[in-house]
Amino acid sequence: MTGPDRRRPVIALWNVAKDYAAGENVVHALRRVSLVVEPGDFVAIMGASGSGKSTLMNVIGCLDVPTSGYYWLDGVDVRTLDEAALAVVRSRKIGFVFQAFNLIPRTTALANVELPLVYAGVHRAERRDRAMAALAAVGLAGRELHLPSALSGGQQQRVAIARALVTNPALLLADEPTGNLDSSSQADVMALFSQVSQLGRTIVLITHEHDVAQYAKRIVRVRDGEIVEDVRVVPVGQPPPRHLPGYDPTVAVRVPPTGAVTAT
Amino acid sequence: MRLGDNLRIALRGLNANKLRSALTMLGVLIGVGAVIILIAVGTGSSNAVQAQINSLGTNTLTVFNRGSFGFGTTSGVTQTKPVVLTLSDLQQIQDRRLAPDVVSASPVISTSVTATYQTATASSVSVIGTTPHYLAADDYTVQAGSTLTSEEVTNAVQDVLIGQTVAQDLFGVGGDPLGATILLNGASFKVVGVLASKGTSGITNQDNVVIAPYTAVQNQLTGEASTFSQLLVQAKSSAAIPAAEAEVEQVLATSENTTVANLPFTVTSASQLLSTAQSTSSTFTTLLAAVAGISLLVGGIGVMNIMLVSVSERTREIGIRKAIGAPKGAILGQFLIEAVVLSLIGAVLGVVVGVVGSQFKITGVQPAIAPYSIFLAFGVAIGIGVFFGFYPANRAASLRPIEALRYE
Repeated sequence: MTGPDRRRPVIALWNVAKDYAAGENVVHALRRVSLVVEPGDFVAIMGASGSGKSTLMNVIGCLDVPTSGYYWLDGVDVRTLDEAALAVVRSRKIGFVFQAFNLIPRTTALANVELPLVYAGVHRAERRDRAMAALAAVGLAGRELHLPSALSGGQQQRVAIARALVTNPALLLADEPTGNLDSSSQADVMALFSQVSQLGRTIVLITHEHDVAQYAKRIVRVRDGEIVEDVRVVPVGQPPPRHLPGYDPTVAVRVPPTGAVTAT
Repeated sequence: MRLGDNLRIALRGLNANKLRSALTMLGVLIGVGAVIILIAVGTGSSNAVQAQINSLGTNTLTVFNRGSFGFGTTSGVTQTKPVVLTLSDLQQIQDRRLAPDVVSASPVISTSVTATYQTATASSVSVIGTTPHYLAADDYTVQAGSTLTSEEVTNAVQDVLIGQTVAQDLFGVGGDPLGATILLNGASFKVVGVLASKGTSGITNQDNVVIAPYTAVQNQLTGEASTFSQLLVQAKSSAAIPAAEAEVEQVLATSENTTVANLPFTVTSASQLLSTAQSTSSTFTTLLAAVAGISLLVGGIGVMNIMLVSVSERTREIGIRKAIGAPKGAILGQFLIEAVVLSLIGAVLGVVVGVVGSQFKITGVQPAIAPYSIFLAFGVAIGIGVFFGFYPANRAASLRPIEALRYE
């Protein structure tokens, strides 16, 4: 297991634009976005619905190709890749966590976590060990053979996080991971993200909730397809804010100055 | 991505929708089963026809006067008098030196009469005027009473052997016809024997028959002296048929002072009848197989239909799989394997149903399984799985992950 390259940015976007044709009009979902994410960072991308944050997430996740601009993912220029090569990049470099959990239905937690390893061609015995370890790491040891329908929302999202981490990706990309969860499950899952960040993983998290963004080391705001604000909360090399020693949830942490801010 | 993994994922997919998978398999099962059973029925009925023709005697030849088929003259040959089969023809064929492969030859005079006994009447009874050899050559056996003798033929004795149908019509079930005198178109004949049942051959009821000395039939019923409508020739064995046929033709050509090519008679053997019947039954089998093939095709379309439904229902799942790194080939493989596994299991069960179903009699025919039909049906079913599975699988594999994920 090799750790992420400490010198190379995980994400380097330069002047990225994405246009959609909507009838006769062209929608500029992204206009000239440039963003660099270093290894070990924990970035929250915030924005209202329609701000372009989902498009940004699709571009970062190699699910969509930008109309113009450059994108290097862990040193790979993804603009030049075809559909098959993109599948390989997604498989090797990115772990996805979705709002709707997106586990394969009627398939056990273990089989769900094993799936990326199956597509990566890992041997059966090895992928079983790795999947078991990943499930144990998210606190689901003993629930390997549960079906998604037998797990709570929070537990399903933990399975999804285990699945995203099992391939040891350069980037953990989470799209509104707590959007479908109640507040206690939300705190639960976000604590897990903090823990993952503490271990040195690079995380990009898309959200519109301040509560969730407060767990990140850096907060990027998107509006009308442009980055309007980029605030560093904690240096890259330090633990995430909610994971600092002596962290007290009753004390308000420092939050970005704009927007309605409520301390929790 | 290994084949084993692909297979496991595909099986899990099928298992998740058991009822639908089972119904789809049913389509293939019925198709494969139908192909096997219907081909078996075709083969079985062909066997039955063959057995029936064998019972006619495969070592016999029939000589017809061409005139008896209707339009008297051979083309291009002007005949001053109609050429008929005569007693001298018969005697020459019976001559061992001229026709060494012939065992016996019997004349046949056939006509149709109304038979009566007291108040009972049987109409359209076939009368065969012949000699005692005929019985063996045409596979008739006497069940009760005595058979015909050469003396009766020589003396034109009005004795008859009657078939089962005639016996029942005139004397009722269980009646005793032996010694009774019946009237054939008014001429009185004494019943000396009852023939064992031979059943039907095609549309002819071979039991609605009376057999009498040809001399008596000529005297009492047809009135023609010493001419015959047919000769029934028995060869030494079925292998000797071609030789016997050549000898008979040569004898007749010499006697009529003509060549074999211009012979005014037709010599046919049961084996010719057999080949005609076989070609008929092979047409029949092909027709049945075509019907069964269509049901197999319909089963295949069912597989495609279900796979298309499955793909659109699992669009989101496909999106998830692609997002976590499934290459196009893996998705294609998954759905293709699902389709093939569906038709494979359907085909295996179809073979079982086909083989079991072929053990029962179907409309009086004992089906005979043709081994090729099993391999054919099996192979076609798998082919259909691949062919009809490919389109939906390709559609699934070509989905763009972002659109598939957005799909609700």
